[in-house]
Formats: sequence, structure tokens, C-alpha cells
Amino acid sequence: MARKIGVYVCECGNNIADNVDIDRVIKAVSPLRDVALVEKYRLLCSEDGKKLLEQSIKDHELTHLVVAACSPKQHEHTFMSVCVAAGLNPYLFQMANIREQCAWVTPDKEEATDKAIRQIAAAIARVAYQESLEKKDIDVSPDVLVIGGGIAGMRAAQVLASPDRKIYLVEKASSLGGKVRAFDKLFTKMESGSALIEHELKKVQEDENVEVFTDSEVEQILGFFGNFEVKVANKAASEERDFSVGAVVLATGFDLMDVKGLTQYGYGKLEDVYTSLEFEEMNVPGGSTDGKILLKNGKSPKSVAIIHCVGREEKGYCSKVCCMYSLKLARMLKARLPEVKVAQLYLDLCVPGKAYQKFFEETKGLGVDFVRTEKTSVTRNGKGITVEYESKSAPKGKLAVDMVIVVPAMEPSRDTSKFAEMLGIPVDNEGFLGQEHQKLAPVASSVEGVFVVGCAQGPKSILESIVQSEAAAGKILSSLVPGRKLELETKTSIISETFCTGCKTCISVCPYSAISFDDFRKISVVNEALCHGCGVCAAACPSGAARVKNFAFTQIYQEVEALLK
Amino acid sequence: MENNKNSVSVLVIGAGIAGIESSLLLANSGAKVYLVEKASYFGGNIIRWEEVFPNMECATCMIAPKQQELLQNENVELLTLSEVQAVEGSFGDFTVKVRKKARYVNLENCIGCNECFQPCPVEVDNEFEEALSKRKAIYIPCAGALPNAPVIDTDNCLRFKGKDCQLCQEACMFEAIDYAQHDEELELNVGAIVVATGFKPFDLTQTPQYGYRKLNNVYSMVEVERICASNGPTEGQIVLQNGEAPKSAAIVHCVGREEKGYCSAVCCMASIKQAHFLKNKIPELKITQLYSDLCIPGRVYQRFYEEVKGSGVDFIRATVNQVTQQGTGVAIRYKNENGKEDTLNVDMLILAPAIEPAVDSARLAQVLAIPRDEHGFFSEKEPDLDSVDTSREGIFIAGCAQSPKDVPDTVAEAEATVGRILSLSRQGS
Repeated sequence: MARKIGVYVCECGNNIADNVDIDRVIKAVSPLRDVALVEKYRLLCSEDGKKLLEQSIKDHELTHLVVAACSPKQHEHTFMSVCVAAGLNPYLFQMANIREQCAWVTPDKEEATDKAIRQIAAAIARVAYQESLEKKDIDVSPDVLVIGGGIAGMRAAQVLASPDRKIYLVEKASSLGGKVRAFDKLFTKMESGSALIEHELKKVQEDENVEVFTDSEVEQILGFFGNFEVKVANKAASEERDFSVGAVVLATGFDLMDVKGLTQYGYGKLEDVYTSLEFEEMNVPGGSTDGKILLKNGKSPKSVAIIHCVGREEKGYCSKVCCMYSLKLARMLKARLPEVKVAQLYLDLCVPGKAYQKFFEETKGLGVDFVRTEKTSVTRNGKGITVEYESKSAPKGKLAVDMVIVVPAMEPSRDTSKFAEMLGIPVDNEGFLGQEHQKLAPVASSVEGVFVVGCAQGPKSILESIVQSEAAAGKILSSLVPGRKLELETKTSIISETFCTGCKTCISVCPYSAISFDDFRKISVVNEALCHGCGVCAAACPSGAARVKNFAFTQIYQEVEALLK
Repeated sequence: MENNKNSVSVLVIGAGIAGIESSLLLANSGAKVYLVEKASYFGGNIIRWEEVFPNMECATCMIAPKQQELLQNENVELLTLSEVQAVEGSFGDFTVKVRKKARYVNLENCIGCNECFQPCPVEVDNEFEEALSKRKAIYIPCAGALPNAPVIDTDNCLRFKGKDCQLCQEACMFEAIDYAQHDEELELNVGAIVVATGFKPFDLTQTPQYGYRKLNNVYSMVEVERICASNGPTEGQIVLQNGEAPKSAAIVHCVGREEKGYCSAVCCMASIKQAHFLKNKIPELKITQLYSDLCIPGRVYQRFYEEVKGSGVDFIRATVNQVTQQGTGVAIRYKNENGKEDTLNVDMLILAPAIEPAVDSARLAQVLAIPRDEHGFFSEKEPDLDSVDTSREGIFIAGCAQSPKDVPDTVAEAEATVGRILSLSRQGS
């Protein structure tokens, strides 16, 4: 079928007309190849303008459309909708931006007119080679896999579960609850951690739409947003289960840094030097000391030093919650042993937000000492423990104490890297899972349909972890609606079977893990459900086999050639 | 909502980054969203920031795609110049009264060409630019503001003061200016409400020891953001009041912290960011940060701090006692960690104000019948456990309306309100 390209030039009131000689433009582009008609209009984006365009496409049976007007950011969507209404494939449309990129920035009218002619000629040359593309959609599963049964995972499961959405909650330990269960008290209300866990657990267990797997590990996740195939193995029962889900929430939490290597604190060598978690355990009824805070010699401590930021320098980041956590430890000590002297050795107090400073002030008010230090060391002789501290701007000092609690930095849990690899999610230098966008997409990973919540993506408080779980739920509930299909990106990449040499360069550069290798045909294949059409593969492909739909070599070449002619 | 399981309608109050995120997610789920914004433009505080930490992205460029998506989303009705007046009913069935002020510019006809500004004879301070530049009585607050249409400021427009002026109408080629528009009362029926009203900076004149508004070349951090902005009053030229570039600058953290009684969570990073930006623009500028405690939590922020410190920015732990004029610059008397007094002379002093709840919070708390805390932030239902639920079922809070926080935490909360709303409306119905 012969091409019939319609070209419409918008005057944009006087915005374009004042600085571009539109009649000269029309005269210049009318004779170009395949151009069926060229018309001007006062304001194409107005209701009348859109009606005129729609009618004109129909009346003249146009096969392609060029609109020379403002930035495509402003009105590409508007004119694509007009194409759809007129029965023209919207990908056979191209915009020439002769306002922002021409009339508004090129002061000389003659020059601006010449420039507009080139821009429109380029759009005409390009549009002739554009392909008509169809939107595709796929069926999806609304179900969700949640990995990690700590507070974040349990909350995600609760918020997501509904009669039309099943949640699979997988925990590798023999019971749900994660780290919080071990906390005797939680800041700021000093309520019990295990009570919180029991409360959440009850809700999860009572929800018939949540299936809980304990003693279980996720062995395999294949597929893409909307259609993941999951294999879970129960280690205790040696059983395997396969199921499909539409999305995955990673809530694999944190571990505390092993501080034995930081010899200056004496942990692991000196008596009565504990990690914060060991101290928590000491406080839990039924534990090693049956809820009593005791020294190795069976006596209660009279003085305790709590050392913040242990491992911060080695890790290179602030673990965010340890200041509040350390204040909480002081509260626990003061509540059990009102006479105990407590000193906090800190670097910078990080108590952000509306509620935390008050907690700090109240703790200080209990008679807890705060000592700033940049370098701390712990030694022990027959009489007890000595903590020495110093900072650049203050004199050195020392404290004699009975007990030391070191508060280690937080690091990603040991399983994090396994899931990063399984799902193709980048990790940062510290091993935490990366986000799709640091500011605007805090719980989405770079793999569509995979979400990361809680401490798996960086140190966080319980509250922040809960918010993130609810946030991931919000993203999933918004996009995976039961009974609704998922629309795919239209301008995806395709790899020519004929030209592909199987070098796999594209696989190594694709940021979305959208390309896989077909071992039988020895070529790379794009999964359209994962491809975002970024074009990195097309740029990297040494044989010219990879291209992005509507950003093909010919289209770009024709456009550039016409622009420079 | 009870009638149709799959369609919820939601009122979102405040169209900053939190309100935009909530609205988009809700709309994409199929919900009808009314997004109410009291200003004539949307985007909130973030569109006043030139760049955001730690990746130094241009904030307006960062959120513009979200704004465009929102404007094109058929499920979202953006109501600018609007305020919520009354809320009745309960979760699933709220009746909301909204007062929508007239813009006097028809959004259908206006193409945002700005031809109407030029003839306007009125010139007043531009509040968006912290009064560092002037605007007309018909204006957009800054280049790139959305929706791309001006508003008539009736307090200053000659016509609305009884004079016979219609210069803007005559200049408009599209008959977009309509003096006959009037304020409207809208009644909306919604199932849930998201409150995302954001924050305002602490009023620096309440801490007179820093000399703000009394001494020359003492700036608030927000003013410096606008001075740094490429679409701002100086088009991004860092200049003092006399038009010259500064040779030295000090940034004082935590201004208002003691008065407010809390740490505003983001000012350390914002201060470090401004140092980064200023150093980039004027490499030989000597910058000193006067701080009490560095609050740079999480896995990314410390690296940013170390990078900035490494570029030659000094960090002094100090308490500022007094600031006085010294030539065109200022002398800062401070006490260091050892209690020793010292003086720092700089050309430019930048104050990092605490973050407070937005202006309208008290009235809105009454209208919504939700409690606020001692600082005026909206209270969550269960402190430490729920930050987006309020004590009134069906009303949720997100972002700095709840407590000072950074952009990622704000966005996460906005997404969490959507999680809660969509979850409750499915499970409950």
C-alpha cells in the first residue's frame, strides 16, 4: 500500500507562528516523498484541533502522521490518542518539536524557519519507516511469594492476603518471628518483642489465604512479573513443592556483624563483654540466666558500658537504629537494676524524627551518662574491666565497669546473596539488595515484580520495616489485580535469529535480565515481558542483530540523514 | 465501596511527592482518586530543590515524569487551589466538602504560553522564590510548574481591587482568562482518605541569635536552594546580596532543634548536599559545617558525607552563640566541643531550619477529627508499629505530615497507605 503521510503544523497561537514562517515551512515540506497533505492549524491540542486531526486521518486515509508542534512530553500522548480514535496505529505517528527546540530558542526567524523545515523533514523521513506495533497483554497470577518470616515478611503476608490472592510465606527456621522474637523490649514503648511477634503470628496463622512453610528454603524462582515459577523445599520433611506466583517479596532481614575480629573491644576474649543480642537473651525469662542480668561470677553488675557503632568504621555506614537500640538497653538495665551506673559511649547521636529525641532525653534523665568517643578500647585485669576512650577534640578518659555491651553494626543476612543471584538483583558494596530507584522506588528492585523490604535493603527500625512491607503490598495490590491482564512494554528489543552470532554480549549488558540464551539454536532471545526497551543490547550488539522496535537503524538513519541534508 | 468490590474512591490531601505516589498507585489499581492541593501548582516542597542527595539528581526532572503520568491518568482528578472543608461519615463512605478557589484561567484553553504576564502592571514578591524575585498578579510560580497555567492572585490584581484593568485578558490569544469564574463547593464521596500535607521549615526569626532577616547575607537553606536553582531567581548563579560570588560560607545545622525538641532527620544530609552543590559551582569556596551530631543513617549516606568531607569541607562540632555583621559578611561566635570559644568569619551564612508540620495542619486535624502529637504532627494509631494508620479508621497519613523524613521513607509511606487501603477494601468487602 502506498504511504500517505499527513503533516500538521501547529501555530500554537503565536508561540510558533511568531518566530517560524509557517507558510514557507508548508511549501518546503509539501514536495517531500510520500507526503499527501500539509496543513497548519492555530492550536492542534485544542478540542477542535483534535477533531480536525481525527477527521483528516479518516478522510484522507492517511497511513502515517507527523505533527510539528510542542515537546512530545507535552502532547505526544494527546496525538497518539487521536490516532487511536481515527483507527491509525499510534506508532505510525511522529512529533517534531518546533516550539521548545526551535521557536523558543532560535531568535532569528529565518534561521528558525530553516530549522523547523529540517526537523519536520526528519520526522517525515523517520515516520515512513516506523512499524505499527500492537499492545500485548498477558495473564498473570495474583499470588505472592514472601521470603522470610520475620516481622517484615509476616506483615507483608497479612496485608496482601485476600480470598482472591494466596500468599506463600517461606521461612528457613522452624518457626516464624525472625530477630524480633529475641528482643526482650522494643523502643520506644518498651513492650515485649515476643508479644508483638505472637500478635502478628496469630493474624498470619488465622488467615486461610496465607500458607506458611517453615524449615523451608526457596530453591528456584524462574519467570517474570506476573508469572514466576517457584520451587520450595522443606528441609525437615524432605519434601518439595512447586507453585506459581505473580510477585515476590524478599524480607530476608539482617545479621549482626561478627565483632570477634575487632579485638579492641575484647569481645570473645574477655569475661563479661557481651553483644547486644546476648544481653537481650539474658533478659528473656527462661533463658540462660532466667531473666536475670548477671555477671559470670553470678553477681549483678554495678556499672555497665554500652559501646555504640561497633564495626561502623569497618562497614563504612551508620546502622541507623543502634543509637535508639542502645538507649533501650540502658532502659532495660535501669528498670531491672535501678542502682546500676550506665555509660553510653557514642560517636554521633542519631535519633531522627519526632519521637526519638524525647526517648533520649528521658533516658538521660534516668542518670545514664553519655560519653563521646571516636576510639574505644576494652581491657580487663583482676579487678574488672577498663574502657578507654578518646576523641580528637576532647581529652582521653577511662571508665571502670563490671560489664560491657557492644552494639554491632547490621549486615545483610547470609541468604541475601543467594536470592540476589537467583533473581538477578544487584547488590551494593555492603551486600544489601539494591532498589529500582533510590528515592522514588524504595521497595521495588530492578527486577520487575520483585520487591525488597526491611533490613534486606539496609538497616531499618521495626516500624520502617513494617512500612516497607505495606509499601510493597501497595505496589503489588495496585499492579497485580485479580482478573486483570498485565500490559507489556510495546517498544521492546528483538534479536534477529539470522544475524545473532550467539556471543552473549547482550545478556551481559541487559539491566533487566530480559535476555536468555537458547542453547539449542545458539542465539540470544528476548523475553518481552521483562524487556523495558532501554536499547542497551542494541547498542552493544556487535553483529547488529539486536534492535529496539521503532528505534531501528533505518529509522534513525533516515531521520538523521534528512536532518543534515 | 460496598457496592463494588473492585472500585474504591480515595481522597488524597496534598500533592507533593507522597500524595502523587499514593494517587498514582491507587489510580493504577482502578480506584478513582481526588487529589486536593491548596497551591495553584503541584509537586510540593521537592520541586523547590535544585538537586537531591545523595545522587544529586535534579528534583524537578526526577518527579516530572510522575507528574505527567498523573496529569494523563484518567482516574485522577487533580483539584488545585482547593481545600478540604468538612468530612463526615466513616471508612468506606466519607462525604467530603472541598472548596475550590477560582483560578480565573481556563485550564482547557490555556496553553501556558505566558503571554499574559508581561502586560500585568503589578509586581509583588514571589513567595515560591522566598521573595528573592518578583512576580506579576497573574503568574506561574516558576518555570516548569504544573499544571502549566497561571493563576490570578486576587489580593494583588488591580481588577479585583476595583480598577478597570484587563491587560492580561487582552494579551491572551486563547480566551483562557475568565474573570467571571467563581469559587466552587464540591461534594465528594470517597471510601478512604490519605493525608499527605508535608512540612514547612521552622521560622528562623524565632532564633534571633543567628541574625536571620536582620543581618546581610544570612540565608535559610530554602533560599539557598532557590539561589542554586537553574530555574530560580539567579538562574543558578551563587551570588551574595551585592551580586558577588562568596569566597567562604558556613552552614549551621539544627537551627530550631532545641526549640522544637526533636531532630528533623534530614537536615544533616541536606546541609552536606548544599556543600556538595556549592563546591561544585565554586570549587575554591571555603565551606564550614557547624553541627552537633551527625545524623546520616543507613547504608548510603555516610559515603556521601565522606565524599563531601574529602572535597575540602570542614566539619566542626559546635554550638553557635551569636552572629554579628562583619563588613558584608558575618562573624560567628561558637563554642567547640571542649567548651572553648572561637570565631568564624564568612561571606555567607546558611541556616538549616528544623522541619515543622505544614501550615494548615491544625485546622485539618479538626476537620478530619484525627489527633496530632505535641509537636503538631499527625499521630499514628500505634507508635512504633503503624505509621500510616490514624486512630480514625479509613484515614491514613504519609510523609512529613507524620514526622520529618527523607524522600524514600516518604514514598514508602505513600505506598504503604495504598497497601492498607487496597488490602482493607478487599478483605473487608
